[in-house]
Amino acid sequence: MDEITQPMPTLAMRLIFEYDGDQVRLVSQSPVDLSITGFDLARTERAGYYVDTRDGAGQTLARVPARGAFSTSAEVFPEQPGEPISRVEVAHPKGAFTVVVPAPSGADSVSVVRVAADAPGAVRPVARATSVEAGGGLEVTDIAKFALQISR
Amino acid sequence: MSTADGTVLGNTQIYGGAPRNRAFNVVLLADGFTAAQQNAFDTACTSFVNAFIGTPPFDELGPAINIFRVNVTSTDSGADDPVAGGGTGATARTYFDSSFGGNNIRRLLLCNNTTALQVAAAQVPEFTVVLVVVNSTIYGGSGGGVGTYSLANGATEIGIHEMGHTAFGLADEYAYYAGGNETGHDHHPAGEPSEPNVTTNTDRNTLKWRWAVASTTAIPTMSNPACGQEDTRPSPVPTGTVGLFEGAHYYHCGGFRPEYDCKMRALSVPFCRVCRQVIWNRIGPLATLQARARTPISVVARYPEHLDVFAVANNGRTMSNWWDQSTGWAGFFHVQGGFAAPGGSGSPVTSISRFSGHLDLFTVGTDNRVYSCWWDVTSGWHPWFRIGTLQCRPGSTVNVVSRYTNHLDLFTTASDGRIMSTWWHEGAGWANWFHVMSGVAANGATVTAIARYGSHLDVFTVGTDNRVWSCWWDDRSGWRAWFPIGGQVCRSDSTVTAVARFPDQIDLFTTASDGKIMSTWWNVRGGWAGWFQVSGGVASPGSPVTAIARYTGHLDLFVIGTDNRIDSTWWHEGGGWANWFNVSGGVGQSGGQVAAISRVADHIDLFTVGSNGVVYSTWWDVNGGWAGWFGLGVS
Repeated sequence: MDEITQPMPTLAMRLIFEYDGDQVRLVSQSPVDLSITGFDLARTERAGYYVDTRDGAGQTLARVPARGAFSTSAEVFPEQPGEPISRVEVAHPKGAFTVVVPAPSGADSVSVVRVAADAPGAVRPVARATSVEAGGGLEVTDIAKFALQISR
Repeated sequence: MSTADGTVLGNTQIYGGAPRNRAFNVVLLADGFTAAQQNAFDTACTSFVNAFIGTPPFDELGPAINIFRVNVTSTDSGADDPVAGGGTGATARTYFDSSFGGNNIRRLLLCNNTTALQVAAAQVPEFTVVLVVVNSTIYGGSGGGVGTYSLANGATEIGIHEMGHTAFGLADEYAYYAGGNETGHDHHPAGEPSEPNVTTNTDRNTLKWRWAVASTTAIPTMSNPACGQEDTRPSPVPTGTVGLFEGAHYYHCGGFRPEYDCKMRALSVPFCRVCRQVIWNRIGPLATLQARARTPISVVARYPEHLDVFAVANNGRTMSNWWDQSTGWAGFFHVQGGFAAPGGSGSPVTSISRFSGHLDLFTVGTDNRVYSCWWDVTSGWHPWFRIGTLQCRPGSTVNVVSRYTNHLDLFTTASDGRIMSTWWHEGAGWANWFHVMSGVAANGATVTAIARYGSHLDVFTVGTDNRVWSCWWDDRSGWRAWFPIGGQVCRSDSTVTAVARFPDQIDLFTTASDGKIMSTWWNVRGGWAGWFQVSGGVASPGSPVTAIARYTGHLDLFVIGTDNRIDSTWWHEGGGWANWFNVSGGVGQSGGQVAAISRVADHIDLFTVGSNGVVYSTWWDVNGGWAGWFGLGVS
C-alpha cells in the first residue's frame, strides 16, 4: 500500500527562552515544520519544568518538558578516564533553553511552569507566580506567561 | 566578545538523509575558529559523527538521525581562559563568547547559550540538540540548554553525555556530587525520581525497569555497605547485567541505577540497557512501524479527542502510538520492553480503558504466558507482569471485557485449546484461571466476549467441530453450558466478532470454511436467526471481520478481501446491507485484520498492516467521506 496522504500536522512553534535567576524572557518564537513525538509531550504529572500551550480560557492544550532549564548546578567532567564527574552549585542560574510546542487551533499563549512536590513547609515560588494544585500531591506553578503570535 | 566578533558562514549536512521534520537533528556550531581554521572545525565535526554514530544505540538509529555543522568564524582563535579558574588569563574574541573557568573551574566551558540557540534555529530550524565545538585543546565542556566541548582528547564524550540529559531526559547515575568525599550525600531523599534510569524503589515487582531484569538477578544486585562514601568495589555480576545497583543520582546510598556502569555514570563507557531503551523511544517514534503481518491491532478511545493504538512490531515488540486532537500522532514507542508470542497470526496486544485516565493491556509473551501492564494518568506506565501460570497456545489472543469500572474479565485459549478465563476485581486482585464450562476451541480460534449488561457476559468461539459456539454468564445464575449457534461451518482459525448495538441485541460475524463472510443475530424477542452471507463478501484466508456500531441502527464492517484489498460494507436499519467497496484504494496483508473505532458517531478511524508491512491508518468523516491511507508514525 503506497502512502497516499498525511494527516494535516499540528502547527509547531519553536520558542527560545532566556532566564536570569527567576526572570524569564521569551527571546523568540517562530513556526517550525517539525513533528513532535510523544516522548516530548507530557502525559503524566512529573516534577520538573515545562512549557504549556494554552487557549484563551487558560486551559492547557499541550505540555512539553523544558529539559536543562533553570539548573542550579553544573557538571564538571574529568580529564582522565576513571576519574569522577562532579557537580558544582551555580549561585545564580542564568542561561537559555528552547522547546518546540504544539500550537493547535485555539492556542493563544504559552506558560513556563514548574511542577513540584508540594512538601509541607515548602517555600512558595517567586512572587509573580500563580499556583494550582495538581493530582498526586504535585503543585503546578506558573512562572511566566507569553502571548503566542501565530499567523495561520 | 559577541556576534560582532565573527560571521555565520552557513550550514552543511554531514550525516543522514532523514526528512528534517521527522528526524533527530544534531547541530554543531563552531566557536573560536578563525576564517582560516574552518577546516579544523570540519575535521572535528567528522570526528564527532564517527564517535556519535558509533555509540549504541545511535549506531542502529542512523536512518532517523541528521547531523549538521554550522561554520562560524571568530576574530580570534580559542576561548577565554581566566586566571581565576586556573587558566592562563588568555582572552579570545569569539562569536559565542566561549570561556573556560565557569564557577572558577577551568574544565567548566561555557558559552552564550542564547546566541547559540538563535544561530541554530536560523540555520537548521528543525534542530533537536545544539553542541558548540570550541577550538581549544584545553579539556572542557558543559551541559544545559546548549552543550559545549573542546578539541581535547575524549571531549566529544561530554557532548554525548550531555545529550543524555537535554534530549532524552536521563539522570546522572554517579553516586556522588562533588567527587565522592562530600557530606550530605549519604542517603537519597525519599521519593521516586522522575527520570527513567534512577530509582529509590527496591521492590522487584514494581521496579520501573523490571522488564529488563532477569528473574535470576538478585535485587538489589549490589548494596553499599558504607553510606559515608561511594561504593567502589567491582561489579558482582557480568558486564551488561541489568539489576539494581546502589549509588546513583548524586547519593551513595538509597538511590539505584540499572547497571554497574553507564555513560550517564562515567564517560567512555556504553549507555546501559535502560538508557538505550529510552533513547530508542525518543528517536524510534520518528519512523513508521514495521509490524507483524497478520497480528491484529487494537485501538481504544479513552475520550473522544484521543486514541491509543497498540500493535506488535515485526520483531515481536509491543508497540503503541497515540493521537490527541491537540497534538496529533505521537509516534510508536516500545511499551515497557514487552515482546509478544509468535505463532499463528501472532499474539496481539489487546487493550481496554476502564476510565479515561487508565489503560490496561494484555498479551501472550514469548513464554506463552499471559502478561498485563497498565498506564495511569497519575503514574504513567507500569511494567508487564504475569497473570497466573496459564500456558497458552502460541499466538493466542487475550480478549478483555470490563463490565464495570473496577472489574475485568479475560478470555484466552490454553495450550490444549481449553477456553480459559480469569477476572480482576479492585481490592481482590486476580483470580485463578479456570476452564469455562469444559469448552475447547478449534486450533487458532479466538475467544470473544461482550458485556451487554454489568451483570452479564456472552462468550463466543469456534469449537473443535468448526462450528460457532456460545455460552453465557449471569451473576444470578452463574455460567451456562456451551451451545452451538446454528450449523455454520467455519474456518478453524476464525474469529467470531460480536457487537451489541443495544443490550437486547447481538450481531455476530465470522468466516465460513470457504471464506464467505457470514452473519447472524440474536435478540431477546426472537432468539437466534439463521446464518446468511453478507452482501456476497469473501474474506482472505484467516482475515477476521471487524464490526462497529456507530449508533443503534447502524453497523460498519471491515475485512481484508480475497484480493487483499481493504473492503467495507454497512447495514442501516430500514435499508439493509450495502455492497462491499474498497476503502480508499487500501491494500492489506492476506489474512490480516482491520482495526476500527468510532470515537464519535460521525467518525471512523481504521488501522491495518499494509502490503509493505507498515501500519497504516485512514478515517471517515460524515462531512468529508474517506480520507487517504497514511503510514502511521508521528504527525
